[in-house]
Amino acid sequence: MKHYFVFLKKELMEYARTYKLLILLAVFTIFGMTNPLIAKLTPDLLANFMPGGMTITIPEPTALDSWAQFFKNTQQMGLIVLLLVFSSVLAGEISKGTLINLLTKGLMRQAVIVAKYGAMLLVWSISVGLSAFLTWVYTAYLFPGDGVSQLVFAVFCMWLFGAFLLAVLLAASTVAGGNYGGLLLTGLAVVALLTLNIVPGALKYNPVSLASRSMELAANAIDKSVLYPAVAVTIPAALGLIGIAVLVFRRKQI
Amino acid sequence: MDVLREYWLFLLPLIIAQFVLMITALVHIFKHPDYRFGSRAMWIVIVVLFQMVGPIVYFVFGRGEDH
Amino acid sequence: MNILEISDLQMSFGTNHVLRGLNMEVPEHAIFGFVGRNGVGKTTTMKIVLGLLKAQGGSVTVCGETVSYGATRTNRHIGYLPDVPEFYGYMRPREYLKLCGEITGLAPAKIKSRSEELLELVGLEGVNRRIGGFSRGMKQRLGIAQALLNEPRLLICDEPTSALDPIGRRQVLDILSAIKGRTTVVFSTHILSDVERICDHIAVLEQGQLALSGTLAEIQKQQRRNSFRIRFATEAEATAFTQLEELNRGGVELILDGKELQISCEDGSIDGQKLVDLLSEHRLAPENFEAMEPTLEDLFTEVVT
Repeated sequence: MKHYFVFLKKELMEYARTYKLLILLAVFTIFGMTNPLIAKLTPDLLANFMPGGMTITIPEPTALDSWAQFFKNTQQMGLIVLLLVFSSVLAGEISKGTLINLLTKGLMRQAVIVAKYGAMLLVWSISVGLSAFLTWVYTAYLFPGDGVSQLVFAVFCMWLFGAFLLAVLLAASTVAGGNYGGLLLTGLAVVALLTLNIVPGALKYNPVSLASRSMELAANAIDKSVLYPAVAVTIPAALGLIGIAVLVFRRKQI
Repeated sequence: MDVLREYWLFLLPLIIAQFVLMITALVHIFKHPDYRFGSRAMWIVIVVLFQMVGPIVYFVFGRGEDH
Repeated sequence: MNILEISDLQMSFGTNHVLRGLNMEVPEHAIFGFVGRNGVGKTTTMKIVLGLLKAQGGSVTVCGETVSYGATRTNRHIGYLPDVPEFYGYMRPREYLKLCGEITGLAPAKIKSRSEELLELVGLEGVNRRIGGFSRGMKQRLGIAQALLNEPRLLICDEPTSALDPIGRRQVLDILSAIKGRTTVVFSTHILSDVERICDHIAVLEQGQLALSGTLAEIQKQQRRNSFRIRFATEAEATAFTQLEELNRGGVELILDGKELQISCEDGSIDGQKLVDLLSEHRLAPENFEAMEPTLEDLFTEVVT
């Protein structure tokens, strides 16, 4: 148990000192504030830049537009930045050989994997939480009185999908070599999951749905029970991937 | 630009966050002569020109070892 | 008592048989020089001892316990210094030692006192910047400190000096000889002068086995190669001496250079006493008579080529 804690501490120090924490917190702060502003200002800006005399009718933006920005930005830029920043977390240590010293001192190999996942998960949770909180505050000011339904669950689904991707990244990094092999494999896995939606019925269970359908949730277009199967698949899948990562890493020649 | 005047209070923290990111990246670039690729001038241009994306790309891909 | 025993170790990478039944014993409190050319299998042997590589045959015991591949319990007796130790560049030396100590399970107070002690030993007590900016020599010295943190009975160093400049090299060698007596040190190298400087036991690895092993004196005796250098008063005397029939037969090599004669004997039939007898018999009083000990380099070149 002690090894998990010690290595978790080391990981968090690493994120803070190698600018990983800074990047993620800054990016998600910026997103959190930008989402409502974009929603609010788009019609005004459009009107300003329209050639004189032309008038267009744009529906008055609502809180939902603000959250639409949140889900779009988190799902695209947010997740990409998350994976980019964390792509070197295991691969870098293996290629540099920094683990050899600690492993010969008796550091348990599963502690390396589990602590790394825990640390990434913690940072991801803070990032997405911060972004959602800022969007919520700004939205409350800019669009007073508007309510959005099933919001907490929709944000949870987005968080869960990020947690799943981090598990994919970690497992991929134990298998693939090089500094960016894990990242590449993760990209391929996402493409594969997207392609899977061609199969009838797959959409219901596909982890990707957690991110892609979060907006429908917030817009109340679907009930949250629609995503329950995907949640039920994603949680064991993420845990299973961490299990695989531990098994592979245990046998890996360092 | 009435819009900016109306919402400056909301825009200010956003601009500050962008600046923090940019300044941190610039400080790092000036303190470290080695990059994984590219030159100092190139990274300065990238970081200043591309808001948010520039510093991210620098820290993820361009940053050399600690010295 | 032997702290490390290797018997009949077999290892090959593909068709390359690196270790072919290697046997090696390291007595406690020795400074053991593990010598061999680059790529001869020194690092492989060490990695097997540490449980980082899986041997294809044979066995290794450390302090009487058998080493197994993977997370081996025997590592608690061992401190390891890789040839180019890699640290986290964003940490300071004390932070790194604290991390190591916590992994080993030392008490916080112990980690603190031990860190200070070791940083002083390796001459880094005044350094508090991040490791990323360290020179190679400083990293190597920090490597020794981290390896000694849990007071191991056996310290294994893989080529600790080969990447260093002469000053860094001397510092590392001084540290290693300073800990002699407290910890057994095994270090691999291809730099023979380092071995001669601090080692009391030597083993030469060649063709997957030990070609030589023992203390330097034992090895020199083992080789039974007697060499002498005699400087005569005149060139005529020297020449006359080379004509003696006792010296003109197989197994004896004579090299004459002006007044100086070098005699080496492969089979040991000619020793110092014999030469002195010959000199007095022929009423020759040389200016200088010396028995030449073969250097480690001579012995090494002999077994390796």
